[in-house]
Amino acid sequence: MTKGKKPSESYVGKSVRAKEARAPLIGKAKYTNDYSFEGQLYAYILRSPHAAAKINSVDLSGAKKISGVHLALCGRDVFEHTNGITDHLNPAIFGGKSTRLPIMAVDEAWCYGQPVAIVIAEDERTARYAASRIQVDYTPKEPVVDAEKAIAKGARSVVPEWDDNVLIYVPFMNGDTQAAFDQADKIVTTDVKIHRFSSQPMETRCYNAVWEHDTESITLYGTCQNPHPLRLVLAETLRMNENKIRIIASTIGGAFGLKMHGHPEEPLICLMTKLIRRPVKWVENREECLLIGAREQQHKVEMAFDSDGNMTGLRDHFLANIGAPSACPGWGMAFLTGLTMPGPYKVENIDVHMNAVTTNKPSWNAARGYGKESTAIALELAMDNAARQFGISPIDLRLKNFITKEQFPYPSPTGLVYDSGDYGGVLLKALETIGYEDWKDKQKAALAEGRHIGIGMAFELTPEGGTIPGTMVAGYDSSSVRVGPDGTVRVLTGITSPGTHNGTAIAQIVADELGIDMDRIEVLQGDTNSSPYGFGNYSGRSTIVGGGSAALAAKDVRDKINAVAAALLEVEIDTLSLSEGVFSSSDNGDATVTFAEVCYASYTRAYDVAMCIDPPLEATRTFKPPGISHLPDENGRINPYPSYSNAVYVVVCEVDTETGKIDLLSLAAAHDCGKVINPILVEGQVCGAFAMGLGGALTEDVQYDANGVQLTKSFKDYVMLRMADMPLVGMAHHDSPNPDNYLGLKGAGEAGVGGSAAALVNAVNNALEPLEVVIHEMPLTPSRVWSAIQNANNSEGVK
Amino acid sequence: MYARPRNLEQASELLASLSSGAVIIAGGQEIMPYINYGVMMPDVYVDIGGIDALRGVSAETDEVSIGPLTVHRDIQNVEEIVERLPLLAYAAKQIGGGMQVHNRGTIGGNIVAMHPLYDVAPALLALEAEVELLSEKGSQRMSLSELQDLSNHGLGTSSILTKILVKPMSPTTLWGYYKLKNSAGAYGSANAAVVIQLDGENIKSIRVAIGAATEKVVVVSGNLDSYLGGPYSSEVGLAIQKTCSDAIGEPLSDQQGDGVWRKAMAGVAARRATEMALGKLNNSSSKG
Repeated sequence: MTKGKKPSESYVGKSVRAKEARAPLIGKAKYTNDYSFEGQLYAYILRSPHAAAKINSVDLSGAKKISGVHLALCGRDVFEHTNGITDHLNPAIFGGKSTRLPIMAVDEAWCYGQPVAIVIAEDERTARYAASRIQVDYTPKEPVVDAEKAIAKGARSVVPEWDDNVLIYVPFMNGDTQAAFDQADKIVTTDVKIHRFSSQPMETRCYNAVWEHDTESITLYGTCQNPHPLRLVLAETLRMNENKIRIIASTIGGAFGLKMHGHPEEPLICLMTKLIRRPVKWVENREECLLIGAREQQHKVEMAFDSDGNMTGLRDHFLANIGAPSACPGWGMAFLTGLTMPGPYKVENIDVHMNAVTTNKPSWNAARGYGKESTAIALELAMDNAARQFGISPIDLRLKNFITKEQFPYPSPTGLVYDSGDYGGVLLKALETIGYEDWKDKQKAALAEGRHIGIGMAFELTPEGGTIPGTMVAGYDSSSVRVGPDGTVRVLTGITSPGTHNGTAIAQIVADELGIDMDRIEVLQGDTNSSPYGFGNYSGRSTIVGGGSAALAAKDVRDKINAVAAALLEVEIDTLSLSEGVFSSSDNGDATVTFAEVCYASYTRAYDVAMCIDPPLEATRTFKPPGISHLPDENGRINPYPSYSNAVYVVVCEVDTETGKIDLLSLAAAHDCGKVINPILVEGQVCGAFAMGLGGALTEDVQYDANGVQLTKSFKDYVMLRMADMPLVGMAHHDSPNPDNYLGLKGAGEAGVGGSAAALVNAVNNALEPLEVVIHEMPLTPSRVWSAIQNANNSEGVK
Repeated sequence: MYARPRNLEQASELLASLSSGAVIIAGGQEIMPYINYGVMMPDVYVDIGGIDALRGVSAETDEVSIGPLTVHRDIQNVEEIVERLPLLAYAAKQIGGGMQVHNRGTIGGNIVAMHPLYDVAPALLALEAEVELLSEKGSQRMSLSELQDLSNHGLGTSSILTKILVKPMSPTTLWGYYKLKNSAGAYGSANAAVVIQLDGENIKSIRVAIGAATEKVVVVSGNLDSYLGGPYSSEVGLAIQKTCSDAIGEPLSDQQGDGVWRKAMAGVAARRATEMALGKLNNSSSKG
């Protein structure tokens, strides 16, 4: 084996600044909306103002009269040209319901904001103005807004051909839970309400569809996370051949699952260019972006314990209000919430029921955490509640019930196989990082002055890199490594970056495998005409499968380069070494040849020294993580995940009991994502997830009125945390490498929203313990916290 | 259409000749988000940014005159304001949106928007500010309080705000401003400005203006007369809190918080602003 760079020179494990970060920082990144084309037209979409209504007629004549308007279509017009949108994740595969998913409302609107008509005009303003001239005659219906009411007897079906509103019901059962509860020493019940909050990327969605006259095909420059699978959906929906569509996903300003496909605007804008044969652009506004929901669930978590505090049974019957039917994969979040139970705890008797309930709210899409955040919120609020009721430390209760590191690989009661971990170690490291004992002292001192400081912790287990059989949510991915005659490298990957800079991580891996300088490597993603067939980014998979496949391909290319280098130096391959771009051999004194010279020879001397290889210096390889198993066990369960990253989040906050306002004082996280390729990238993900989870727990909330009309329309009401709200995050890594994956990788991008949200709620409840106030309903807005304190004060008065 | 008049006469004539589709624009911080959002689609933009008469701050012995085009950043930093109207300078610092908004947004725009959640109006009302308006009918001077009572949805295009006039605060005037907001990026949920004169230990006068709690800024002064003549104590503080909370008739209820909480917070903000004025607000934010 040849030696490359010395270990001290390797890139993997180092905090390398992201190459892709420069352009966004200086305002020069080319986002999808930065593309414009000659003769480009603009789309404006008219949306339903009602949550549920019969559409009696759509009169487009007013819009068509406006100068500058090229086309105006209603839902029925679009219906004639297209098939229903192909499901990203068809619930019917799992025993759920499905229905035709029209691009726009036809005869019936089933949620506020559903597209009803579209206008294409010379400019955005004209399109918008013309849309205001469209007359739609609606007969509003009583909307189904609340999940509990939606499943009550006699509730109207949101989809007329369905018997009820349950899109899918899944039981997750193991052992004898009833017996565990019958024999329990103590049962703790916790009602947890998780509200609707989403992930709001700074860059909203944008689609530029361009008709290519030369090839009679469509090129879509779009904000999308999964270009190849989207291409198939567009082909099916638009009745075109897949090879007549090209998708280019440019620099993305945040995705978080929200840009996974299934959105009606994707085929809609493509259809417009197909009909008009001119480029058409649509840019989502913030109100439209806020329509895309996630996470709204209500849990009733019951935990049975023996007298030593060992959890012996877990019951949780939960509802997810997933909104109207959609081709986006949002509903799957509810499935994952159930599948990830009971998280890090070794209880075997579980009785978990998931009901994903269809309502007249706008539909969900995937959102970072993909339901696993809700598992963490439900379990971790319940664990703290149990610890309070036992009067023991929440640390001790967790340590007692965690799966221990000797138990891995651990078969979970829902059929998952956790690869590795040291959950207790992660918890203790997080507490050490925040200075837990110091904060306990400060808390005591503050309370003596009448101030309420709280310390909260929460664990999050995040299965990442998932794949579902029979869907385009694949577990593997592919990369090509191409080394040119000048020794520079182009890596093409099937994975894409949602703004996480996984391209830099992949370049680090490839640089180490090839033994060369990182600056010689370019990583290209997101163009279906050049990348290998791939599945894009989701489920914290990109570095696992993108990095893993790129490493395999780089090794293959390196073998070719080594062979040619050995031939040039007339030595055996295993005597070669490569340092600072120069090959030398222990068998041939001072003779050297540069990496670039070897590459040039590989291309130009195919019939003499490079006879030993097949040019060019290219390889395409696939990494299929071996931990995944789609072969059902005796109970029909599968393990769709190759990696189980995990982390503990700790929050210290102070509650102003007079106003209900929460101030964050200190934050820490300890994270196990296996081998860390680049600490800057991983820590960036942890901080981002922390901000998202805290924002969700404190302020971010998409509200509706009783008629299902969305009230939250801008960042004035959907308030995310700012720098000033958030102390720096103390960060610790606690790596237990994944035994199956390249370099021991686990996912890093998806974890943290649930753990951090739960830690905040636990911290607030800890702060309010002296007042006997406990809140399990999110978000913890000042008015909610204040009301809870007032109610406690009042009931005290009654006593 | 875009027009940029060079003096007040031109602007006034132009506005008189235009229909309802016109907007006056200066810093753009109020109007541009509405336009970008499609809430407003004006036909004519009258940009008053080029009118020199609307700029500058001048301080006479008995009056500080502030040009409505003065941006928040200048309100925070200009010597005449920092020294003579420290309450206003402080309140302007509490305006959200960050540096860009502070550099572009104007005090005039902030006032004419008549937005209940904004920070400038409570400070100016506590200071009994007056304003000068120019319309077809000529120039007119009135108290800001009167202007607030007259207009329901901002000033519109019927007149131009030409001056903000405030009596300088005396060096012995005590003042406080407390803004309660849910998070750094949120609008206020209760903004209280307080101006107090002491006679020795005793309260000689107190005037409170509370924003963000109702549709209009509420001024509380006469109701507080019963606390005059005596010293401040924590009991007096709680009584002021109750009086100010009671003064909130129909509280706002929005995503920042419901009406019951809003009404209660108006009182808390008023008391905390009072404590700040009297130097009694320590780091402890809870009553315990």
